[in-house]
Amino acid sequence: MHFPPWLWYSAITVLAWGVVGLLQKLSTNHISAESSLIWLVVGFLVLEPLLYPGSALFHYSGWNLTWALLSGVLNALGAWALFAALKSGGKASIVAPLTALYPLVVIMLVPFVLHESITRLQGVGVVCALIAVVLLSA
Amino acid sequence: MQREMQGEAVVAAPRQRWNARWFWYSIICVLCWGGWALLSKLGSREIPPGTMQFLFTVGTIPVCLALLIGRRGKLEKSPRGITYGVLNGILSGVGGLALFAAYHTNGNTSLITVATALYPMITVVLAISILRERFRPIQALGLVFAAIAIVIFSL
Repeated sequence: MHFPPWLWYSAITVLAWGVVGLLQKLSTNHISAESSLIWLVVGFLVLEPLLYPGSALFHYSGWNLTWALLSGVLNALGAWALFAALKSGGKASIVAPLTALYPLVVIMLVPFVLHESITRLQGVGVVCALIAVVLLSA
Repeated sequence: MQREMQGEAVVAAPRQRWNARWFWYSIICVLCWGGWALLSKLGSREIPPGTMQFLFTVGTIPVCLALLIGRRGKLEKSPRGITYGVLNGILSGVGGLALFAAYHTNGNTSLITVATALYPMITVVLAISILRERFRPIQALGLVFAAIAIVIFSL
């Protein structure tokens, strides 16, 4: 049986990220939410040399560089909150799908920030996500 | 003492959703990650994904430094906790790199996006089988709605 390369790569992504959800819970079983975040970023930094784009980095516009850096700040704050949720008794099987609903916020902000309109299907997605939040935390 | 007892009561009685600290932390996470995703969308109009990941990691450093200063540089010396923590970062990054690789092949982009967005379902399976977590039927229904929402959002 032959699997195309995209399927292999996608499988690596989904497995790696799925395992991360489990390891997040395991790390907060042993250390605080703050320490979990600090060691998470140490793990990120291990891969930084692979991602270093060289001098191309200085050719992007200041605003876009700012958005990229600020996205990191917000991601770290979100990850800290995720660890805090797991540390304060949240189950990995509930917190992982619950926090994966963050595109909800994007879809609700897009009309104001990017002046794009929401499609009907995205509207259905928003309703499903809100129902999921209520039921998962029931 | 009273606060501790409240905390335990919350864990023991998950029905009290609006009092459960884990729920509100999860909501804070969703709000922050929503902002992260939106800013990523803005930045990636010009900057390629690998460079976005590089810059994003630089952006996480100030938050870590602030937390380190807040803790006066003291971190727990739990080898297992540290190992899990570092592995979280490495595996998150590897997952991201594999995703870029998937997009670089001539695979169906929307199929790749939908399939990889469903990663929390792997976490659910692992948490049930390895951590022996259990949840109620109504939460299982919530999981179905979450999966539908995730698929729609990634289209």
